[in-house]
Amino acid sequence: MTMARESFQMVSSLVRRETSMVYDEGKEYLVEARLLPLAVAAGCTVDEYCRKLSIDFAERRKALDALTINETSWFRDQGPYQAFTDTMLPALLQARSTTRRLRIWSAACSSGQEAYSIAMLLDQHLPAGWSAEILATDVSTAMLARVKTGRYSQVEMNRGMPATSLVRYFTRVGSEWEIVPKLKAMVTTRHLNLSAPYLGVPTFDLVLLRNVLIYFDKTTKADILRRMLSHVASDGYLLLGSSESTLDLPPDLAPRWRREQIGRVQAHRPTGVPAPRPSPASSLVPTGA
Amino acid sequence: MRAMIIDDSRAMRSILRRILAGLDFETAEAGHGQEALDQMTAGPVPDLCLVDWNMPVMDGYTFISTVRRNAEWRNVTLMMVTTESEHTQIVRALAAGAHEYVIKPFTPDAIVDKLELLGLVSKGALA
Amino acid sequence: MSQLAPEITDVHAIVDEVWRSFLGEAEPLLARPVPAGTPFDSAAVWSASVSVTGGWQGTVTVEVDERVAAELTRQMLGVPDTADEDVADAVGELVNMVGGNVKSLMPGPSTLSLPSVAAGRAAFASESVEVARLDALWAGQPVRVTVHTAAQ
Repeated sequence: MTMARESFQMVSSLVRRETSMVYDEGKEYLVEARLLPLAVAAGCTVDEYCRKLSIDFAERRKALDALTINETSWFRDQGPYQAFTDTMLPALLQARSTTRRLRIWSAACSSGQEAYSIAMLLDQHLPAGWSAEILATDVSTAMLARVKTGRYSQVEMNRGMPATSLVRYFTRVGSEWEIVPKLKAMVTTRHLNLSAPYLGVPTFDLVLLRNVLIYFDKTTKADILRRMLSHVASDGYLLLGSSESTLDLPPDLAPRWRREQIGRVQAHRPTGVPAPRPSPASSLVPTGA
Repeated sequence: MRAMIIDDSRAMRSILRRILAGLDFETAEAGHGQEALDQMTAGPVPDLCLVDWNMPVMDGYTFISTVRRNAEWRNVTLMMVTTESEHTQIVRALAAGAHEYVIKPFTPDAIVDKLELLGLVSKGALA
Repeated sequence: MSQLAPEITDVHAIVDEVWRSFLGEAEPLLARPVPAGTPFDSAAVWSASVSVTGGWQGTVTVEVDERVAAELTRQMLGVPDTADEDVADAVGELVNMVGGNVKSLMPGPSTLSLPSVAAGRAAFASESVEVARLDALWAGQPVRVTVHTAAQ
């Protein structure tokens, strides 16, 4: 069984468009090997599964995850983490000196490297007497289970984890490494679909929404950024992926987020400008009086 | 940048040489720690050493300890690339002066990630 | 009497990671059931072993069909043609990686020997006991990893 040529072309152009990763011709076997388990789970053939991807965003996310599986690393891109330690954290420590509590949201946490990377930095830089809570959400319950277990293979550990942090925050369990309990205790997992309402989700000092908007269409992207306004503190930060920070915002949103260059990354911060009132046009209609 | 690959396996040296060549490193190779020390004494001092642990004549742990005791080589960045993967071994290597540690098996991305951490290559160097 | 042995799932995970790291994902390593005591079913074999001494004593052995050995060597060395000494080197590094990771599963501290490699089936000392074995196929050719300890 080999996947149809159109299926491969569709998938490779999807991956190229969304992640800049390139699957050249001849890599059909690889794409097929990665998608087959998902197709089986969805109860269809690989070709049928590929057709599904154009309409089903949740499946598209899973497929892109499977096809970009090696892209997950600790402290991915470094820049955001540097900006967090150097700039955002000191500012938040000043701003939250009465509550001494920080709240961070790793939205679309995947296997948890982002949430735990932040947990490691907080362990190193949070002054005594402070506490931090990291909410890790994902649409995949399998991923959430992985985050909770906090175990990573040797190959995963090799990706971007400084050796000093590895020995400090992980213990060996069989052929894997497990994150220490004190960092696990900082991270709470929860199932959440970013394109559905965020019920009971509080306000955060930092929201990491990196490399996930690329999986959604334009309308959903804008909708997510609109709803994120209620979940980022007025002096908080929203971090998108490096290729997503230059997204064009729709007219209603453009005045409500401002971009701030912090080191090598751009953070989005709420401006406090209220939402435009819905259609005041009717009151301007001449009454003819 | 100049790198020295120290591993008793030619196959492993070949893998590492190709990764480093892709990052524009000039590479030299040695089959054990003593050969590496001899080359460093005679010739140009590398900016980076990738060091296996288990090798004949002089193992990587002894090599790292020796390099760290010599002030002339204080600017050399030392990265272990080894199958030794116990927590205690990594701690020992770091204490002896290794800057980073990669556990075999690894993918090329892992080497690039670590060299980025060490500031020896810039982001996206392989892209 | 039970011998201290690595979990077979951990051995499988290790071998799988070594395979995927150096041979890519195009051709997966497929585990297969083979009854205990079955000789390695390949006419031309390369074998290599490392021993672990210290907190745990044992031997880790890899046996591969010569076609698997040749492909592994080509991939690792990045050359189209391989001489026997190249194959010996590549198979030796393979068992070094598997053996070092198996060592880390067991109580330590222990030291890992340098690999010994042979063209031909592996020979096991009569007083040794097989405590873990993984049989697999790669590109249709057999691969076997065994862990032995001395009989108590």
